[in-house]
Amino acid sequence: MSVSITFVRPFTRVLVPFTLHRKRRVLYSTILPRYMSSKIPAVSCPNKESTSPPKQLELDGWKVTMKSSVQESVSTVSSTKDEDPVAATRELIEMWRLLGREVPEHISEEELKTIMECASKSSKKKYLKYLYVKEKMKKAKQIKKEIKAAAKEKAKTDQLLETTKEDKQQDFLFLRLWDRNMDIAMGWKGAQAMQFGQPLVFDMAYDNYMKPKELQNTVSQLLESEGWNRRDVDPFHIYFCNLKIDGPFYTELIKRYGEKWNKLLLTATEESHVDLFPKDSIIYLTADSPNVMSTFKHDKIYIVGSFVDKNQQPGISLAKAKRLNLATECLPLDKYLQWDTGTKNLTLDQMMRILLCVKNTGSWEEALRFVPKRKHTGYLEISRYSQELLNRVKKSKTFNSFPKGSLNIRTQKKVT
Amino acid sequence: MMTFCFTGIRSFPKLWKSNPYFGLSPGHSYTSVFLKDCFGIRNQQKWFSLKTASPQNTKAMNLLIMRARSGRKGEEGRNKQVPSESHLFAAGAAKKRSQMNPQSKDHPLPPVRNNIIQLPTKPLNSEEWDKLKEDFKGKANFENWIISQMAHYNSSVDVAKSLLAWVAAKNNGIVGYNLLVKYLYLCVFHKQTSEVFDVYEIMKARYKSLESGANTLLIRGLIHSDRWKEALLLLEDIKKVMTPSKKNYNDCIQGALLHQDVNIAWNLYQELLSHDIPMMETLKAFFDFGKDIKDDQYSNKLLDILLYLRNSQLYPGESFAHSIKTWFESVPEEQWKGKFTTIQKSGQCLGCGKNLESIHLSPEEYEFLKGKVMRDVIDGGDQYRKTTPQELKRFQNFVKYCPPFDIVIDGLNVAKMFPKARESQVLLHVVSQLAKQNLRVLVLGRKHMLTSRRARWRKDEMEEVQKQASCFFADNISEDDPFLLYATLHSGNHCKFITKDLMRDHKACLADAKTQRLFFKWQQGHQLAIINKLPGSKLTFQHILSYDTVVQTTGDSWHIPYDEDLVERYSYEVPTKWLCLQRKT
Repeated sequence: MSVSITFVRPFTRVLVPFTLHRKRRVLYSTILPRYMSSKIPAVSCPNKESTSPPKQLELDGWKVTMKSSVQESVSTVSSTKDEDPVAATRELIEMWRLLGREVPEHISEEELKTIMECASKSSKKKYLKYLYVKEKMKKAKQIKKEIKAAAKEKAKTDQLLETTKEDKQQDFLFLRLWDRNMDIAMGWKGAQAMQFGQPLVFDMAYDNYMKPKELQNTVSQLLESEGWNRRDVDPFHIYFCNLKIDGPFYTELIKRYGEKWNKLLLTATEESHVDLFPKDSIIYLTADSPNVMSTFKHDKIYIVGSFVDKNQQPGISLAKAKRLNLATECLPLDKYLQWDTGTKNLTLDQMMRILLCVKNTGSWEEALRFVPKRKHTGYLEISRYSQELLNRVKKSKTFNSFPKGSLNIRTQKKVT
Repeated sequence: MMTFCFTGIRSFPKLWKSNPYFGLSPGHSYTSVFLKDCFGIRNQQKWFSLKTASPQNTKAMNLLIMRARSGRKGEEGRNKQVPSESHLFAAGAAKKRSQMNPQSKDHPLPPVRNNIIQLPTKPLNSEEWDKLKEDFKGKANFENWIISQMAHYNSSVDVAKSLLAWVAAKNNGIVGYNLLVKYLYLCVFHKQTSEVFDVYEIMKARYKSLESGANTLLIRGLIHSDRWKEALLLLEDIKKVMTPSKKNYNDCIQGALLHQDVNIAWNLYQELLSHDIPMMETLKAFFDFGKDIKDDQYSNKLLDILLYLRNSQLYPGESFAHSIKTWFESVPEEQWKGKFTTIQKSGQCLGCGKNLESIHLSPEEYEFLKGKVMRDVIDGGDQYRKTTPQELKRFQNFVKYCPPFDIVIDGLNVAKMFPKARESQVLLHVVSQLAKQNLRVLVLGRKHMLTSRRARWRKDEMEEVQKQASCFFADNISEDDPFLLYATLHSGNHCKFITKDLMRDHKACLADAKTQRLFFKWQQGHQLAIINKLPGSKLTFQHILSYDTVVQTTGDSWHIPYDEDLVERYSYEVPTKWLCLQRKT
């Protein structure tokens, strides 16, 4: 590398005056009409020469080529940018990209419109960053897909070679239809839950507290919770209450579920939960509640608010419960976990998994493993200790109450 | 120069530890803040503005800060932590309170990056750059990384130029936009105007349009030259896509004033006012320029600026205060005399003996605030969020049928003042002391204070409290502060309330800035905070301001509060220093 440079350098000395004479005139003709008043100084600045070292490096040569070379076509839009703010915005974003800012490479007209509608500079930047990350993820996914496809292709050819080598008959008990079988089994279980399952209500009355983004997040979480419920051994019977037909929740759900929406094994209704169930059996779950949930009650109807709150508006769900005069409870997070950071509000799918787990096992330690690990530093030892203590006391009591004979039978059974 | 910078950095952690008041007022290191957010060049310039601080200087600085902190009166020793005279909302009070809290003593040190490569201090030739690139073992692109570092540590323009020359030689004479902008930053920083022109020409020739960062730098580079009018064109360019920042406007206004074009400056100022709060530097520039202008129209506009400060409750910085003083004293025939003073507790200016404006709201303002607090803080569109309609009704009836109170107490806040003392006992102590002075007292609390079976709330003591004062107990899940605010406002202007709570969350519930300022003014005049250190001792309150801390005039006098450079003021505090201007008659 260093050799080639030393070779080139004598040339630049020769080249520089040459290009200067040839291109300078063109430059003047393009710039001068725009800025008549401005005087363009000489290329090299005299006061610089005195401070530069005696060795006299060639420092200003690059400027000439930079000035003379053709304009980089920044975007495909024609040069009528002076009137068109859309094109100007597009160019601005392109320049930001050159600067290494977090902006997307490609922008659709619709997205550009959204950017122009952003009220403040920071919201513009936020949205651009969102697009940038989205684009990056998409690209990474695409690359992964290609790699996978190539690997698959390769495996296929390998397999072909193998199968041709040893083409032997094999005996199977089942056809490969696992996915469909699973679906059907889950459908049966879901139908059973619709008939005999414990209701779990998602209160959908929060659509006017949320921005579109939050609403989309909520629907994603609803989808995920529904999925977790479907796969469980003993699913809840899910209710979507206060779901306004043609409201924002409804349209978003239809959009996500598509055809499947009408075949979902859950109850979606415009009615409120207080109309469907007796008031005294309803428990509204909210992190703001002063009452801590001690055990999961199988005869109660738990309500979860489908609400993603990024604006920190505290007490909305508590206000809702207060208005309808409902009992409220919150998860015993502080009792079992050494809380570290983050809000006590959990996502809907986390709530669903915790409720399913506590319903099936009755153990909070087991259920609270679905609380994100980043939010707590570990389980509290004291509670476990007291729990054990309690169990021991219970056990000793039951043991004492048993007649001697039955105790023997039990121990014998264990042995066998 | 470079090596000097590094020693400056190395001594930095020490500086940080020994000097908790490191954060200077934002106006102080303006250039660094300005450039920082253009290019993500980190805040280290701020450190550099202090890099001359050798250990001795640090000490001197600390002394200075100490002196500034411990207040103007000599009788206050340095050991006394809370000067009793500083009120709850005095500038720097929050900082002091936080320092008394032992937990927050250890500031995490900012990570100091150690450089793998020593930045070159003189221009290198191609071979040397090649060698440096080989030594560099980082993930990033070498050229981008090194120019960022150079911008970071403000290398000389020549070094950067030699880098660009090397890049261009490698790359058919093309230098990337990114490098060009960072180079421009260095040129602007070192005020190399001719280089700025060159880069400007290159950018114009090469790119159809520029982005806001480069435009900002170009504006800043051009305003000092005779091509300053082109900066205005660049400002127009920015406007096409987004609203220019107040810094852009500041630069253009400074440029216009520098070249004696007052009309352009005022027009830009008007434009700026329509969408942003101007920077203090901008306003200061107008005052600085005004010294040489003898023009009534210009003077009136400067007075308008002062009224603007009054209306938006802004406070000038120390140097701005000096500029204001100098301008007033330069006005011919009016013979203004300016003094930097403080205000006595009674609201009398120590400089001239005049009384300042009272902190009390006018009757209209008072009614307005009362309505707003009821509507926004308590009701807030959903009565169930802070209380219930039944409870609200109960409270309103309660307040209506009681004669006006003199003192409203936040029972829980007062009772929990001393963590080791029994709550009900503390509350009873406070209430009985107030009742002895024949004051009508209202205690607000929650129901659990009565029904709690714990030893901390003794029944007999609570009964005693109820005998000596009127009480209202809200539901356990209701908020009591809004009731406190409303009861105080309802009782009238003479009524005060006792709590240490700064009520920031309730202030935030108010819809607009104007109402929030009214609330804050009312709060300053009506909030009593107990400063007792021992339970059971005689009740002492932090003194209440009787005057309003705001820019004010009586025609032939001006009183202007200002922020000291070395005191960190929180947003809910007010300055304690004043500029007093008097006209000799």
